[in-house]
Amino acid sequence: MENTTAYIGEHLWIGNIGNGFVILSLVSAILSTVAYYFFAKDYSLNSEWKKFARFSFSLHSLSVLGIASTLFFLLFNHYYEFSYVWQHSNNSMPLEYIMSCFWEGQEGSFLLWTFWNVVLGNILRKTIDGKWEAPAMAVFSLVQVFLASMLLGVYVFDYKFGTNPFTLLRENPDFANLPFIQNPNYLSKLDGRGLNPLLMNYWMTIHPPILFLGFSSTLPPFAFAVAGLWKKDFNTWQKPALTWTFFCIMILGTGILMGGAWAYEALSFGGFWAWDPVENSSLVPWLIIVAAGHVMIINKNKGGSLFMTHLLAISSFLLVLYSTFLTRSGILGTSSVHAFTDLGMQGQLVIYVLTFIFLCVSFLIHDKLIKVSYILISLLVFYLSSIYGYKTLLLLLWISSSIILIIYSYIKFFPKEVDEENLYSREFWMFIGSLLFLLSAIVITYFTSIPVLNKLFNLEKAPLKISDYNRWLTPFVILAMCFIGFTQFLKYKKTDQKTFYKQLLIPLFFSILFGSVSSIPLYFLHDYPVASNSEKWNLISYSLLLTTGIFSVLANLQYFLSVIKGKIKHAGASIAHIGFSLIIIGALISTSKKQTISQNTSTKNVASLGENFNAQKSLLLTKGDTLQMGNYFVTYKGKERKGIDVFFNMDYLTKDEKGSFKKVFELHPMVQDNPRMGQASNPDTKHFLEKDIYTHITYADLSDNRDIKKDAYKEPTNFIGHVNDTIFAENAIILIESITTNLTEQQYSKADSLLIVTAVLKATDIKGKVYRAYPKYILKNNTVMPDQFELNELGLKFIFWKINPEEGSIEIQLSEKVSNTKEFVVLEAYEFPHINILWLGSLTMIIGTIIAILERRRVNKLSKI
Amino acid sequence: MKKIHIVGIIVIAVAIGVIFYSLGNNASYANFIEAMANPDTEYHVVGKLNKEFPVVYDPKINADECIFRMSDINGLEKTVVLHKSVPQDFQKSEQIVVIGKMKGNDFHANDILMKCPSKYNDGKPQIK
Repeated sequence: MENTTAYIGEHLWIGNIGNGFVILSLVSAILSTVAYYFFAKDYSLNSEWKKFARFSFSLHSLSVLGIASTLFFLLFNHYYEFSYVWQHSNNSMPLEYIMSCFWEGQEGSFLLWTFWNVVLGNILRKTIDGKWEAPAMAVFSLVQVFLASMLLGVYVFDYKFGTNPFTLLRENPDFANLPFIQNPNYLSKLDGRGLNPLLMNYWMTIHPPILFLGFSSTLPPFAFAVAGLWKKDFNTWQKPALTWTFFCIMILGTGILMGGAWAYEALSFGGFWAWDPVENSSLVPWLIIVAAGHVMIINKNKGGSLFMTHLLAISSFLLVLYSTFLTRSGILGTSSVHAFTDLGMQGQLVIYVLTFIFLCVSFLIHDKLIKVSYILISLLVFYLSSIYGYKTLLLLLWISSSIILIIYSYIKFFPKEVDEENLYSREFWMFIGSLLFLLSAIVITYFTSIPVLNKLFNLEKAPLKISDYNRWLTPFVILAMCFIGFTQFLKYKKTDQKTFYKQLLIPLFFSILFGSVSSIPLYFLHDYPVASNSEKWNLISYSLLLTTGIFSVLANLQYFLSVIKGKIKHAGASIAHIGFSLIIIGALISTSKKQTISQNTSTKNVASLGENFNAQKSLLLTKGDTLQMGNYFVTYKGKERKGIDVFFNMDYLTKDEKGSFKKVFELHPMVQDNPRMGQASNPDTKHFLEKDIYTHITYADLSDNRDIKKDAYKEPTNFIGHVNDTIFAENAIILIESITTNLTEQQYSKADSLLIVTAVLKATDIKGKVYRAYPKYILKNNTVMPDQFELNELGLKFIFWKINPEEGSIEIQLSEKVSNTKEFVVLEAYEFPHINILWLGSLTMIIGTIIAILERRRVNKLSKI
Repeated sequence: MKKIHIVGIIVIAVAIGVIFYSLGNNASYANFIEAMANPDTEYHVVGKLNKEFPVVYDPKINADECIFRMSDINGLEKTVVLHKSVPQDFQKSEQIVVIGKMKGNDFHANDILMKCPSKYNDGKPQIK
C-alpha cells in the first residue's frame, strides 16, 4: 500500500545525508581494502595504489565521522521522525545524556565501535613503519567493511543486512499501523521515549566509550598479526605491535574494571563481578591480549614463540567478534541481564565471525594446493549448509578441518627452537603463564558458550552460577600468582639458581607467614569439621590464593626495589603486576569474607534443603523500629519520593557502653519506579577505608499513602478458632485464653433467655505489654445481638459473631486501624571487607600499564634515530 | 620430547577434562516431571507464573519465602516455594526460570530469573 500522506515538519533530507554517509563509508572501506590489498601485494612499485588507498581510507574516516555527526545532530535537535531518536531520547534530556543515548542502542554502539576503529586506524597509519602500512591497513579496512555493513539496513533477497540508524519512525516495522502514522502532523505532538532511566547516570556517559575503545584496540595487534602471516614475515611486525598491545591491555582493562565498579555501585546483585556472559566476553579478549603481550616480550628479547604470538593476537580480536555475536544475537536469552535484544542479525554475525576465522586460516597455509582445497572445502560447506541444513555437523567438520590445518601449518611453516628450554629461564615461565591465561580464557569461553552449545547440540545445560565460576577459576589464579611472583627474577636464557632463590627468600617467607597466620586459625574453628566438602575445598583454595597473592605482591615489590632500584620508568611491569595481584587479593577477601549483616528473623530453617538454600538474608524493617545488623543498629526513618525515584532513609547507629544509640551514618537505597522497566532497585553503600556497608531494598510499598485516614478501620478479617489458639494482628499476638458463658447448657435450652458468651482474649504487643479484650456473643430470643469490643490502645476491634457447637469453635472478626499497618521495607545488607584493596589494585594496574606504554614509545623512538 | 610439549599436553588435557567434567556435573534445564524423578538434583525449570493464583509473600512471617503456582513448558503446574524475597514486578513476568529441586510435591527454589516483555523495547509512539 502506498502511503500518500504528506507529513508536516519532517527533516528527511538529514536522514538522506546520513544514509549517504553510510553508503559512502561502506564503499570507501571496500575501495580502501582493495587498494591496500594491491598496494601490499606489490609494495615498493605501486605508489598509485598507495595514494588511492590512503585517499579511500581518509574518505572512509570522514564518512564515519559524517554518520556520527548526523546522528548526533538528529538526537540533539530531537527529530523524532527518526526511529533511533524517538527510541532513545526525549525533550527533557540534558546534554550529557544525549551522549549516552547515542550509544544506548545497537546501531549507535556499532557506530561507536566503528568510530574508534577509524581513530585508531588513522593513528596507526601515521605511525606505522613503511613496510607494514599496506597489509595492516588492508586488514583494518576489511574489518571496517564488515562494520559499515552492519549499519546498512537493506534487504538482499529477503535477508536483512544490518540495522540502519536513520530508519524513519513511521517506517519502523515495529510500529506499523499505529494511529500516529495516519496523522500528517504527528511530529508536533510527539515526545521521545527517552533514555532508559536505569542508564541515566555518569557511568553510562563514560563506560561505553572506554569499553568500546578497548574492543577497538584489539584490532591493531590483529591487523599486524594477519599482515605478518600474509607477508610471511613473522617477526618484524611485533615491535610496532607491542605498544598497541600494551595500549589494549590498559584500555580494555580499564573498561572492564569500570564495568565492575558500575555494577557494584548501581546493581543489586551485591558484588562487582557476576560472571555474566557480557562481562565474560570482554574479560576473555583481555586475558588473551595479556598473554599475547607477554609472548611478544619473549620474542623481543629472545625470539622463538612466533606461532603463539600470531595465535593470541588474532584470537583476541576474533573473540571480540564472537562476544559481539553472543551479546547481540539474542542467543543468550534469559542467561544474561544486559544482552541486547535480537535485531535479526544472528546469521550475519555468525557469518562475520566465521569469515575472519576462514581468512586467518587461509593466510596461515603457505602451501598453494592446500590453501586452494581449504577454500574449496569452506565454500562447499557453506553451500551445503545453506541448501541442506545439517548446520551443526558441517560447522563441526569445518572447524575441525580448520584446526587440523592450523596444527599442520604450525609444524610445517613456523620456525622452531631446536634447543631444549631451560627451566631457569624467564621465557619458559612467561610462556607457561601465557598458556595459563589462554587456558583460563578457553574455560571461561566454554562456560559462557553453554547457550550456544545447547543450540548446536540440542542440549539442556543450565548456565553456571557465580560460585561455580569462582571455584573453577581459583586454581588458575593461584598458579598465575606464583608465576607473576617469581618469573621476573629469572633472566632470559639462563639464571643462576642460587641468586634466584636468595632473592625470593624474603617474599616467600613473609607471604607464607602472613598467609598461614591469617588462614590456619580458620581450620580450627568449631564449624570447620561440620563444613561440607565444597566449603572445605573453598577454604583450602582461598588460603592458597591469599598466600600466593601476597607472595606475588611482595616479590614484585622486592624486584622493584632491589633489582630495578626504584626506577619508575622501568617499573611498568612490576607496578602492573602488583596492581593485578592486589585486584585478586581484594576480590578474594571482599568476596569470601562478605558478610550478610541482614539476618532473616523468622525461625524457619531451610538449610535442610541443601547448600544453596542456607542464605536467609532478607530482613523486614518496620518504620521507626531499630534492629541489629552486624555491628550496627539500623532504623528505617521513612521514604521520600523524588520524581520516579523513591529513596528509603536508613540510619545506621552504634550503641555505646551505657546503651545509648549514636548515629554513625545514613544510607539512602533507592527503588526506581520506572515506567518502562518496572521497579529497579539501586543500592547505597557507605565506604570506609577497611570495609563497605552495602544495603539494598528488595521489597517495599512505593505508593504514597498520605491521603488515607489513619483512624479508619480496615476491612475486617474473620478468624475461626478454639481456646488457646492465636490470632496474628499487625501489632499484636492475640491468644484466646478462655470462653465463658452466663448460662449452663441446660439453662440455654429454655426459650427467650439471654445468652452471653464472652471470649477472653489476651493481646500482647510488640513490646510485650499485655492487654485484655472481652468480645461478647449475645443471643437474645434466638437472635444474635450486634456487639463489638474496641481495644483502643492497640487500635483493634473484635466482633464475636458465631459459635459452631459441632466443632466447638468460635468465629471472631478482627478489624485493625489503618495506622496499625506500619510502613516497612525488606532489605538485604552486606559488609564487604577490604574491597578498597581491589580498587587500589585496579588503579595501580592501570598506572603500571601506562608506564609500560610510555617506556615502549620512548624506546621505539630512540631506536628509530 | 621437550618440556614445552609436555606443558602443551597438560594444557589440552586440562581443557578437555574441564569440559567433560562440567558436562556431567552442571545443572540442566528440566521440566517438573524430570525434577520429580530426581528429587535431590538441582534443576533449572523454565515456565510461566500462574497469575490467576495469588503470589503469597508475607514478609512479616518470613521475608525469605514466596509461594506461587507455576506451569512448566509442558503445562504441568506445581507450587513453587522460593526461598527469597518476591522478585520485583513479578506479576509482569513473561517467562520465569526457577533454580532448585523438588521436595515432596513442591518445588523449592533458591533463585529465580525473570524475563519481562521485551525489556528494552517497550513503549509505542503515541500522540499526546
